[in-house]
Amino acid sequence: MTTIEQYDQVFIETFGIENSQLAGLAYQSIPTWDSVGHMGLVAALEDVFDIMLDTDDIIDLSSYQKGKEILSQNYDIVF
Amino acid sequence: MNELLKGKNVVVTGCLRGIGRTTMEIFAKHKANIFACAQHKDVEFEEFISKLSVDNNILIKPIYFDLSDYDAIKDGMKQIISSKVQIHGLVNIAGMVYNGLFHMTSIEKMKEVFDIDFFSQMYITQYVSKIMMKHNSGSIVNISSITGIDGNAGQLAYSAAKAALIGSTKTLSIELGASGIRVNAIAPGVILTEMTKALPEDKFNILVEKSKIPRAGSPEEVAKVLLYLISDMSVYVTGQTIRIDGGIG
Repeated sequence: MTTIEQYDQVFIETFGIENSQLAGLAYQSIPTWDSVGHMGLVAALEDVFDIMLDTDDIIDLSSYQKGKEILSQNYDIVF
Repeated sequence: MNELLKGKNVVVTGCLRGIGRTTMEIFAKHKANIFACAQHKDVEFEEFISKLSVDNNILIKPIYFDLSDYDAIKDGMKQIISSKVQIHGLVNIAGMVYNGLFHMTSIEKMKEVFDIDFFSQMYITQYVSKIMMKHNSGSIVNISSITGIDGNAGQLAYSAAKAALIGSTKTLSIELGASGIRVNAIAPGVILTEMTKALPEDKFNILVEKSKIPRAGSPEEVAKVLLYLISDMSVYVTGQTIRIDGGIG
């Protein structure tokens, strides 16, 4: 599985959504991405990519797209 | 009871002296592996933890950071995270005492005291609780003070920061309870440490005389309550602040 496929799978499994919903997906744009779901997303990303997200990054993780930027810029994850 | 912490990994801050050092000793005797956080590197301290580690057949890793330096705290937490072990307990002991009447305490000084006595604890807890959440288990204890409950003339900044710790303890116990993490606080009274030496003698004596047990407490007496709260002896205790003050009132 490629890095982007792993990343997509985290969102799909955490929020119970389809691949087609990923583009444009943002915090609180779907019922499952609430504050509790957000921490589930953080835990899943940390597990899959073996990282520990800083609090500032957890707060900034406001969308599917923003998450990619954070992981690539701050955690050396190459998509 | 022996070996109450066998197999557990515990983070203790403020290990260089006082209650932190004594807590580390008692936890070591109960077979905890310890991340011993201290303000700065110290030869005597390293010799002490080395001997403590050998004597009790446990691991003690020193982690150095100053609570006023958030980048250093972050580096310290990353050292703990990189060990990739489960963290069962966190005891936030490190802090500072500041004595000053309300009108003699600048807002800058209040912010400094809050930085060291409250915000740094929250910063550490953000990192360590995330490790605990992965294992759906953990016990966190914040060291407040009876001044955070009762107030004390001349300790505006200190008592306010310690009260903030009590409030955060209650809220964290609610937020983290579903993740299997317990959060409690202790509120020591007059305990014989270097920090209480900062109290003027008359104030010290008044506080001791107000106690139902008319003497100052020892660091060991505090550490034993911490042992209870970190161990599985207290698995159904959370959101509490336990006074250790000989019954001051």
